[in-house]
Amino acid sequence: MIGTGAVVAQTAPLLAPLNAATGIFQYIWVLIALPLAGAIILLTTGSLLKRWGHIIGVATVGVSAILGIIMLLEMMGRSADDRAFGQTAFTWVFAGQFDVDVAFQLDQLSMVFVLLITIVGTLIHIYSIGYMAHDPDRKRFFGFLNLFIAAMLLLVLADNYLLLYVGWEGVGLASYLLIGFWQYKNSAAAAAKKAFVINRVGDVGLSLAIMLMFVTFGSVTFSSVFANAGEASDSTLTWIGLLLLLAAAGKSAQFPLQAWLLDAMEGPTPVSALIHAATMVTAGVYLIVRSNAIYDRTVFAATAVVVVGVITMIIGAIIGSAKDDIKKALAGSTMSQIGYMVLAAGLGPIGYVFAIFHLLTHGVFKANLFLSAGSVMHGMNNGVNMRRFGALRAAMIITFGAFTAGYLAIIGIPPFSGFYSKDKIIHAAFEQSNIVGIAGVLAAGITGFYMTRMIVMTFFGKARWEDDAHPHESPPVMTIPLIILGFGSAFTGMALVYWGDIETWLTPVTGLEERELAIPTVVLEMLTLATVLVGVGVAIWIYRRSVPIEPPQKVSVLTVAARQNMFDDAINDVVAVRPTWYTARFLVWFDNRAVDGFVNGLAAAVGGVSGRLRRIQTGFTRTYALVMVIGVLAVLTALGLVMLP
Amino acid sequence: MDDVLIAPDIDYLAVAPMIIVGVTAVVGVLVEAFAPRRPRRGIQLVLTFGALIAAFVVLISQAGTRVITGSLAIDGPSLVLQGLILLIAIVSAMLMAERRVDPAGDAFSPRASALPGSEEERVLSTRGFMQTEVWPLMLFAVVGMMLFTAANDLLVMFIALEIMSLPLYLLAGMSRRRRLLSQEAALKYFILGAFSSAFFIFGAAMLYGFSGTISLPGIADALSANPGQTPLIFIGFGLVVIGLLFKVGAVPFHQWVPDVYQGSPSAVTAFMAAAVKVAAFGALLRFLYVAFGGARWDWQPALWIIAIATMLVGSILAITQTDIKRMLAYSSIAQAGFILVGVIAVNPEGVAAVMFYLAAYGFATLGAFAVISLVRQDGGEATHLSNWAGLGKRSPVLALSMSLFMLSFAGIPLTSGFIGKFTVFEAAILADAVPLVIVGVIASIIAAFFYVRVIVLMFFTEPAEVGPTVVLPSVFTTLVLAISVAVTVILGVFPQPVLDLVEQANVFLR
Amino acid sequence: MTEIGTGEAIVFWVCAVLSVTGALGLILSRRTVHSALWLALTMISLAVLYIANAAPFLGMVQIIVYTGAVMMLFLFVLMVVGVDSADSLVETLRGQRVAAILLAVGFGVLLTAGLGSALSGIPMAGLDAANAEYGGNVEGIARLLFSDYIIAFEIVAALLITAALGALVLTHRERWRPKLTQADLMRQRIASGAPGPLPTPGVFARHNAVDTPALLPDGTLAEQSVPAPLRARGDLRPVDIGAVEETRALTEGEAVFGPTVTPVADDPGASPGERS
Repeated sequence: MIGTGAVVAQTAPLLAPLNAATGIFQYIWVLIALPLAGAIILLTTGSLLKRWGHIIGVATVGVSAILGIIMLLEMMGRSADDRAFGQTAFTWVFAGQFDVDVAFQLDQLSMVFVLLITIVGTLIHIYSIGYMAHDPDRKRFFGFLNLFIAAMLLLVLADNYLLLYVGWEGVGLASYLLIGFWQYKNSAAAAAKKAFVINRVGDVGLSLAIMLMFVTFGSVTFSSVFANAGEASDSTLTWIGLLLLLAAAGKSAQFPLQAWLLDAMEGPTPVSALIHAATMVTAGVYLIVRSNAIYDRTVFAATAVVVVGVITMIIGAIIGSAKDDIKKALAGSTMSQIGYMVLAAGLGPIGYVFAIFHLLTHGVFKANLFLSAGSVMHGMNNGVNMRRFGALRAAMIITFGAFTAGYLAIIGIPPFSGFYSKDKIIHAAFEQSNIVGIAGVLAAGITGFYMTRMIVMTFFGKARWEDDAHPHESPPVMTIPLIILGFGSAFTGMALVYWGDIETWLTPVTGLEERELAIPTVVLEMLTLATVLVGVGVAIWIYRRSVPIEPPQKVSVLTVAARQNMFDDAINDVVAVRPTWYTARFLVWFDNRAVDGFVNGLAAAVGGVSGRLRRIQTGFTRTYALVMVIGVLAVLTALGLVMLP
Repeated sequence: MDDVLIAPDIDYLAVAPMIIVGVTAVVGVLVEAFAPRRPRRGIQLVLTFGALIAAFVVLISQAGTRVITGSLAIDGPSLVLQGLILLIAIVSAMLMAERRVDPAGDAFSPRASALPGSEEERVLSTRGFMQTEVWPLMLFAVVGMMLFTAANDLLVMFIALEIMSLPLYLLAGMSRRRRLLSQEAALKYFILGAFSSAFFIFGAAMLYGFSGTISLPGIADALSANPGQTPLIFIGFGLVVIGLLFKVGAVPFHQWVPDVYQGSPSAVTAFMAAAVKVAAFGALLRFLYVAFGGARWDWQPALWIIAIATMLVGSILAITQTDIKRMLAYSSIAQAGFILVGVIAVNPEGVAAVMFYLAAYGFATLGAFAVISLVRQDGGEATHLSNWAGLGKRSPVLALSMSLFMLSFAGIPLTSGFIGKFTVFEAAILADAVPLVIVGVIASIIAAFFYVRVIVLMFFTEPAEVGPTVVLPSVFTTLVLAISVAVTVILGVFPQPVLDLVEQANVFLR
Repeated sequence: MTEIGTGEAIVFWVCAVLSVTGALGLILSRRTVHSALWLALTMISLAVLYIANAAPFLGMVQIIVYTGAVMMLFLFVLMVVGVDSADSLVETLRGQRVAAILLAVGFGVLLTAGLGSALSGIPMAGLDAANAEYGGNVEGIARLLFSDYIIAFEIVAALLITAALGALVLTHRERWRPKLTQADLMRQRIASGAPGPLPTPGVFARHNAVDTPALLPDGTLAEQSVPAPLRARGDLRPVDIGAVEETRALTEGEAVFGPTVTPVADDPGASPGERS
């Protein structure tokens, strides 16, 4: 890849051995054990504890969050090279040359994830108490949420790829269970299945990558893989990098595996906020950033990461612009924002830090946006069609306030969170390549457009409500998390830059590189902001007047494509689903041919005993024998070809 | 010329576990002949469990034995696999002993000789008759399996194969419910089994023709002494291997599996699926490693193809099944493919991995069939998948256990199946069989789909109006479920002791 | 010793052709009895070959066990089931037969070619040395059986017991209702409405074969006179109409007696409606 400027500063990641976990860090395992215990209690007790289930759910995650904050404070009190801790619970698998421990690694990178997961998780748990108040299965819902939190924490705290894979599968399972939570909706079950299938494709990537690492390095722990990454051949590293990218694309809904995320919005809104916006979908970014030692050594794989990120960033933004379903529009936005992060992660040391930075701010403001949307839905009989919203700002003032904070954050108006993190990524992109940088600016403009469209259609204009809609503000148990997240959307960016010093904090794990840039930073920021404002302006101009209740049919090709999720389903259907289905059908047909032939030919005789007996004697057993003989001949021929010279 | 025949020296202590089970089986037959009908079942239960447990205890006490005695090799793999067979037999015996789930009695026909649907059958059933011969039959099958893993020559291997199979043919046809299906399954199994046995013995004759001996080490010696290629070797090898592959249900010798698994009583299916796989893979390993380990380059390509076909065909066909027993049958075909991957590795890691996998798979299978035996409708089992809709609502504990077994089959981490798959794939990688591993991973991904579909059905679909009932089992099936769940979880989370065990016992005596 | 004598060659070619013919006949004959007899031919030919190859023990066992015991048992069973019962040989699966023949030929070619190339040019070992070692064929086998193959010999016991047990399980029926006393039987017979014995087959008929139904005095057919297995198979010998008419003429006006009288369906002349 062509850099546009000379390197001005460079810090390599610190590959120092992990400190033994002492003091408060002895309790790393408790972070995971608490939500896990909560999940087990909630899922295995029947109608017992039905009234208190949600309290257990919130309490376990909340205590984990407090423990995480204590660990953060303790970690901040130490020097930069003394902040990574390792703890081995027990030897998990030790077979032959293969040795894997159940061991945890808490360093600066995992720390920020722990905080994001537990704090946002706690808030969403609290919010869910209100949101799911009338659901008879609320306890089970909290059980699944807790299971998710535990798996996600395991994912970010694992010290090796195999344990990470455990967490990876765990979050997948929890996500799957939660998308399909409202099982009476057929669409929810279908969405769950789709998410599962597409994620399995990604999982193939991860498991093959782990196998390849084991073959190459003889180990799958982060420390030894990264320490020995330099010794592996380029092609091996590239393959590992591409396979990890496949995994990341599956989990983070990146091109070409993005299709499931839009459908995943069938799940309850807190799930969309927690799993499909703030945490799980960012696991791919975590995986890439964590594997920085591999991507730093393989330009090809890193470039592939950037390409995937850019494509998804644009596609997601376009999809977000065309959806009338508020949650699906937000899902498109999530794709696009994660595209930013993946892009940044692909830039290498220039971008890792900013990928994580944007991930954190996005986790907060997107959770905020989703919960606000959920609050709107709560007041609108669970309607999601923005064409039937409008003028809601008066009816739900707190929700409006929170949504506005998230809106300003995501489009990147200073000093809201998104401004800091997104501009850093665009800046880093320009450091690497002008094309990528321009794509980033463009996507920022589209972001301005679709977010403005969303806020205008929902909160401004004329009321286009359904006849039986009585919009009202949500109960405090929902609005309080909204208020907190609203403030978070506003100030997380600032706090992380000025108080947390996120760059210095993460550098020991990811390394950092800065390059000279032809354009001054201020100009770049102004350019981005101007593009965003253009997007905002266009949206206001289009939607300033009435919004038709029925979606207009005379629209551009791009809009049609975007409404169809960029034809992704159709492509998936042709490329993956149908061939598999046909193969299965063909094999079944082959296997049952004899059966069917028999049944058709002798249908009359099948009923009685004699028919059954004849079927045994002269039925299709002989066909089985025939197939066996074919096998015998094939095996003997194959053996003969190999064995005889 | 008239010298005294010196009695062959046999280490009877080393083969004591087999003798215990075999003698008890004979005693069981005598009980059938002489004991009055009422106490027979009690006596048989005491005999069966007593013999199996005693054999296991003796086996443990002999754990250090490594000896070739007569035509039997008592070495690491055979001891581990025999122990596994005994454990599986104990657990499946519990399943067979269950008498509460079927209102009419146990899982077996009150009289196998009665015509299906006849008045005799009905009357006997209401009077609570039972065919207690199943117990000695089962013990004979166990003897055959144990011999099969230890057989060090082709003749004993063949006889063991028959001792193992014959009782299973019979047991398969003795279901209390859906007897026609059961009898059809038994007859199919018998005919095709006899067909495959013929291949086996034909191949053994060829190998004898080549080497002048039927002992496996003798064949290996003849191979190394006479590396010249003769068709006798590959025809003999091929036919013997085909006989063994039939028993493990590898493609294209798999077609009996779905019919037989579906038709047999669930308790027998569980026993068959779990224990026969152990025994047959034990024999296959011994044959391939001891006799043909040196010629591995010659046979690996053919077995590669079979393993790949087995994994893929099993996984893909399972997707479209609508009967849960049939689905599990195809799943067992796919699992056989995964195990074959470890067999093909031809290294000690492969032996250890295969043994671990067999243990993991065996207990998950026992558990899954135990669950199947509890979901009933109109007296019989409700095996159509649609009947399982919403089971999670009705019986969460049962549905959770079933989910656990399915996740283990699918190889999801923290279950025994995951460690099993990983160790098998690891062994294959060490043997440079990377493409095989890639196909294995892909097949396991496909397979995950139908396993998870069962979970979805149980938890995410609304139960039907008139769904099946989940019967409350007696202590027997409860124990089976508890043991299977425990083994599946423990082998997934703390597999180390078992991994150590199989690793210490991964060398065949020659 | 390593050469094949003329006599031996003749024996070989005769018996080889016979055994293969027997095997083919076994597969191709329609009637089970014929198959069984063909099999016996194969077995005997093989026994002759064994004996000619200096393995008299094996040859005798072959004759005693297979031809003597197993085949006779086979035939016994077939006699009970019905000698001329024939399975339907209509093949319902398209291509099955062609494929089976092709595969069988393929398998045969593979084996023949393989064995032929493997065995050609290999000197004969013969059994003489082996037989001489322990003073004879039987002694040698005994020694092997009780030393090298002792385990195989012992465990076959398990196989045989299983087989016997299996046969019992599949066929044996213990009494499940109280044994009927003579008084019970009498009551049953009276209650059945036909206390007398059934007419035996062939009574008043033109044949006395077992499958010819008896003719009742009124000229109707007594199907029950034919044994149930034959009836179940539909093996009733058709009755000559003329004979029936003749009998009817002889017995015009006689009273009807005996159990239920069923006319043969396709014999309208025997229907009771026309009789009066």
